[in-house]
Amino acid sequence: MKPVNLDSLRKLLLKCEKPSRYTGGEYGAPGCEWGKFNFCACFPDLYEVGMSNIGIKIVARSFEERCMCADFCFAPARDFGQGLKELDVPLYSLSLKAPLKDFDMLGFSLQYELCYTNMLYMLDLAGIPLRREERRGGSWPLIVAGGPCAVNPEPLADFVDVFFIGDGESVDADVAEIYLKHGGATEGFYREISALDGVYVPAFTTPVYNGDGSVDRFDGIKHIKKALVCDLDGAIYPDRFAVPNCESVHDRAVLEVMRGCYRGCRFCQAGFIYRPVRKRGVQTLTRQASELIKHTGYGEVSLNSLSTGDYGKLSELIRSLKENLPPEVTLALPSLRVDSFEEDFAQDARKTSLTFAPEAGTQRLRDVINKDVTEEEVLRAAKRAFDAGYSAVKLYFMLGLPTETDEDLEGICEICKKIKLLYSAEKRKKALRISVSVATFVPKPFTPFQWERQAGEQEVKHKQEYLMRNLPRGVKFSWSAFYPSFLEAVLARGDRRLGKVIEYAYKNGCTFDGWDNLFNEEGWKKAFDDCGICGEQYVRGRGEDELLPWDHIDVMVDKSFLLRERQRAYAGKVTGSCHGGCKGCGMQSVCPAARGEI
Amino acid sequence: MIAFKYTKTDGAEYISHLDMLRHIDRTLRRAGIEVEYSQGYHKHPRIFMGNPLALGVKSVCEYCTADARYTQDFIQLFNENSPGGVKCLEARDVKQNPNFAESIRACRYEAAGIAPFDEREILAKSSIVITDMRGREVDIRPRISGIEWRKGRLIFTLGCGENNLRPDLFCNYICGIYGGEPAEIVKTASFGENIF
Repeated sequence: MKPVNLDSLRKLLLKCEKPSRYTGGEYGAPGCEWGKFNFCACFPDLYEVGMSNIGIKIVARSFEERCMCADFCFAPARDFGQGLKELDVPLYSLSLKAPLKDFDMLGFSLQYELCYTNMLYMLDLAGIPLRREERRGGSWPLIVAGGPCAVNPEPLADFVDVFFIGDGESVDADVAEIYLKHGGATEGFYREISALDGVYVPAFTTPVYNGDGSVDRFDGIKHIKKALVCDLDGAIYPDRFAVPNCESVHDRAVLEVMRGCYRGCRFCQAGFIYRPVRKRGVQTLTRQASELIKHTGYGEVSLNSLSTGDYGKLSELIRSLKENLPPEVTLALPSLRVDSFEEDFAQDARKTSLTFAPEAGTQRLRDVINKDVTEEEVLRAAKRAFDAGYSAVKLYFMLGLPTETDEDLEGICEICKKIKLLYSAEKRKKALRISVSVATFVPKPFTPFQWERQAGEQEVKHKQEYLMRNLPRGVKFSWSAFYPSFLEAVLARGDRRLGKVIEYAYKNGCTFDGWDNLFNEEGWKKAFDDCGICGEQYVRGRGEDELLPWDHIDVMVDKSFLLRERQRAYAGKVTGSCHGGCKGCGMQSVCPAARGEI
Repeated sequence: MIAFKYTKTDGAEYISHLDMLRHIDRTLRRAGIEVEYSQGYHKHPRIFMGNPLALGVKSVCEYCTADARYTQDFIQLFNENSPGGVKCLEARDVKQNPNFAESIRACRYEAAGIAPFDEREILAKSSIVITDMRGREVDIRPRISGIEWRKGRLIFTLGCGENNLRPDLFCNYICGIYGGEPAEIVKTASFGENIF
């Protein structure tokens, strides 16, 4: 089909918010041309969010390196999506402005569960049948999906032809080569790719359920191991990014300093599925930063990872970057832990607000979740920050953690009181601002808490009200709504029967579920009712001997390790980070830290 | 200082003024052209743009000044590093900031898609009162200085700056009376001091 002509969309573009989301032409965007294989990276959220994602850029680059076409597409906001439908113009890619259905492969990046309806929204706008079965035998693009949520692929298994589990740097493009070899998505193609690590073909696995809704067994392929890239220094990394037309969420050059995290906080899915920790060297990162600044014109470099403070050579890296980058370029270090606060001063001097995530209010509960932070450390770091001129503190906590009682909530109030005292102990220029944000705990697959139940609506409400009543005066309190967290838990822990619910929810008008202002609770509730599926059964506690809906996926962390960690949690025992010695999670054979390389 | 003229076409007409400022800053940085920074607490690059162009209006004559050392190869450097549709056409080495936001008094535009009408009807009116985007009644007649037809395209010149009239509002007014719909509006010339 012909590419979409922007001038023909003029009226719609002018009616919509931020039309430059839909026009392409970004500086640094790959010069796309149709090639032997045509891939489009699809991000099921807005342009400003997707353009900040580094994963899709890495994947796109892996196709380009093999001389294949790699274009991008983002979920259009509702105004533009609606307009495209009315004009009968199919959803198109950013650079080529080609209808999505003209590509060989559409790769969806699943970063959070609440974007699932947006994947259907994009397929629908593209005029592609949603269900795998409906596409069978037709000349549709191969629909693939990857990213962290793919570790439990089942809720989307009805819609996706191939899931990529784990690191996507090379296996995605390997699959493209095999596709070319077979001349399309033939039976032989599916057979061949299903033998690769990191490839899950849902058509080859059938979960069989018991009467009570639990999984009895998996028929067909029963074991899918994640793909693992061991050497990040040698791994693909783009030396240029497309610079977004309109301001994006993270409008800066991004380095991936490390993948994985040593800490093993028991609630954190990323901390387990991205194991083992792999690092890039100072030289590699300095080179990548210089290239990115040169090719993007950004004035800021962000050192990303799950816990950048744990990068052993952080001081050396900062020194090397300062020496090699233009002097006006500032550094951003997100995800620093409390105990590595010093490095924070390396950042932009204009910053006045500091963020801590103690996650739980008492030492007892922090031990339960293996969050290796003490109150003294938080207070010490806060004092240092105040003395350096900071006047605002943000604190993040979770509600509904296993074993939590009102005492732990009281602990949250206590921390706030102590911070207030600390600030007022000396004369300071500005008034102190403290804000406390609480999220509802979502027990995720592949964590030691994967067997836990999620706290119910009444419990969560009680906890939120407790804090509203008891937090010291002047503390700004914000909390997340219950239903979206519940839905997140259902989708994260779901099985294949949820596909129908997701489809119904989409048809009921649910899109952008991650956006508070666009969340359509009624649409979801109706979808569960219409399908006769009770969402609550997915957030129940699971038996330790139960087969879990994601047990056919192997993220290479032993289930016995997760169980051991669960028992230690209940015993209130901290396991600590891999820095203190190997904890035997099951990845020893491929883990640099287990070999002593920290 | 460098004063330069650039385009905003091929999709770039949908980039907002504020984003455009960021893009020019980044283009210059990528090109290795060092722009002076303002002094003070919130430092910002000394880049001075002309008046904002309405979203969706293309232009082949936007003007901008950057406080940086002029080089002979500026146009080439800029164009190798700019986003699609933003291309430098001319550049001058200037001693002083020409302040295009003040100096440009009027601009000429071309529009396609507007139903044919006798332009003398409009020009003969002594006042044309419309409701602007903020809901205020304004007389736009003094801000219209010329209308003509050329090869089926409407060519019109409107006030800019203090006496500003948005070309899209003008087209809407015309289409409201005579029909049609602007398929494309392009700014083709700017008038005032220091223009090249």
